[in-house]
Amino acid sequence: MLGRIWAIALNTFREAARIKVLYGVLVLVFGANFLALVLGQMSYHEDVRVAKDIGLAGMSLFGSLTAILLGLFLLYNEVQKRTVHAIVSKPIERWEFVVGKWLGMALVLSVLVGLFALAMVLMLVVQGAGMSDDLVKATLLAWVEVLTVAAIAIFFSSFSTPFLAGIFSLAMWVIGRVTPEIEAATRFASTWIRIVAKVALEIVPEIHLFSPSGRGDVSIHGNFVSWGYVAMASLHGLGWIIGLLALACLLFQRRDFV
Amino acid sequence: MDPAIDVSDLRKTYRTPFARKKVEALRGVTFTVERGTIFGFVGPNGAGKTTTIRTLMGLIRPSGGTAKILGHAIPSRAARFKVGFLPESPYFYDYLTVNELMDLTGRLFGVPAATRKQRADKLIERVGLGRARSQSLKKFSKGMLQRAGLAQALMNDPEVVVLDEPMSGLDPIGRKEVRDLILELREQGKTVFFSSHILTDIEAIADRVAIIARGALTAQGTPAELIQRSALGTDITVRIAADVSIEELVAGASNVRRTGDQLSLTLPADADVDAWLATSRARGAKVISVAPRHETLEELFLRRIASADASSEATEGRV
Repeated sequence: MLGRIWAIALNTFREAARIKVLYGVLVLVFGANFLALVLGQMSYHEDVRVAKDIGLAGMSLFGSLTAILLGLFLLYNEVQKRTVHAIVSKPIERWEFVVGKWLGMALVLSVLVGLFALAMVLMLVVQGAGMSDDLVKATLLAWVEVLTVAAIAIFFSSFSTPFLAGIFSLAMWVIGRVTPEIEAATRFASTWIRIVAKVALEIVPEIHLFSPSGRGDVSIHGNFVSWGYVAMASLHGLGWIIGLLALACLLFQRRDFV
Repeated sequence: MDPAIDVSDLRKTYRTPFARKKVEALRGVTFTVERGTIFGFVGPNGAGKTTTIRTLMGLIRPSGGTAKILGHAIPSRAARFKVGFLPESPYFYDYLTVNELMDLTGRLFGVPAATRKQRADKLIERVGLGRARSQSLKKFSKGMLQRAGLAQALMNDPEVVVLDEPMSGLDPIGRKEVRDLILELREQGKTVFFSSHILTDIEAIADRVAIIARGALTAQGTPAELIQRSALGTDITVRIAADVSIEELVAGASNVRRTGDQLSLTLPADADVDAWLATSRARGAKVISVAPRHETLEELFLRRIASADASSEATEGRV
């Protein structure tokens, strides 16, 4: 079982590594970090703060968008181009195929997040700062966010077109990121709006947990979350990844490949 | 021992997305493929050949009926371990080389690394892709892709080989090579189930043939059985003097051709050939050849398809 999943994952990694857009994203992130260096020079003793903010935001934003892009096309293309016919006719369970696809994406995204983090650290080193515990925690949280978003995209692309799956995935990611704000905004709304919002928020992963800086008194520049928080948030992400992949497997299992 | 493939009353019904109209792709298909034989599956485009094959391979869920491969009810992972499959117009990851495709296939079958390499080398050479082994599949012609597809279908040393249009896209030499490969597989004791549009290929190598039209089988049996049942008449050629009247001889015959002192014709299936020969000899004719004329598989195929179309139209008309 593991051998088959790993074979699909490695093949997916190979496939994703050929997508030229990924290299564009890398250039963009390195460029953003360089911009942080320039902006930092223009600020008054805030150069390290700017580098951290832009570095982490870039990791979360570009990482998640890349996860959506990969999730949408890598699975959909298999069905559309009929490459899936030569695979699922082999002694592989369909769920192994879906998990292998996600794992391959996770490998690519992990390399990307690693490179984003490297770019951020390089800029920080240039500015005389370095990696801290808090930055490691924030990077880990961003990594889990990206992997969760990849599972969201795989889930939607297991039953719909890339266009619809893209809209749904993007909506889920955005809503998950601003869940506390939506809750606060609907606190004084009418009962039915509160009920609708509550139900809607229940079916969305709390992606805001992965970027806690700036909420309340939590800040990457001083008072960041504990390792316990990182573990709990990661478990939340893992739970959603498992749940979404399980649903994707179920839907993929029922599909006819005509 | 279970047959290699046992299909009984297999049905597949699709519903169109919005109108929810029922489309019956398979309407109770039943056939059996014995082990160690070559089974040819013939039908026009849209007849249900590929749907049947995809259902057997677990790509499509049947709406009804049963199908077993080597005694395992589909979809069965245990059966897929022993089956090699070439999809129709095979699409593979075009960024892979044929070596990498074979390696991926071997991994999915759990073939150990050393065996994988050895078997891949042998099969790549066998299908004639030795010189292209390090080229990406993107650069392959349709025929080369077909060969790569055949190689990957044999990577697990299967007991049953299912080939959907294996001759498609191949030139006459390639077709001959595939025919030889299929015969070689049978010699090795493997079962081959293949679909094709090329009836001469099927007639040449298949032990049994099934004809499918509009989702239902219209005929099945050995080529000899199918063709014998449909004897069309007797082809006769005689030498007879040009000034002899042949009016009586050609009465009721078809394909009559008189060239110089040579007369060729076809007597109907129920004609008394001995009596005809006696009459012709009485007129001084010398017999050159007498051969029963059988229907070719192509003629049988066209007739069966036409009758399936006619009966289907009649049914639709009644509805």
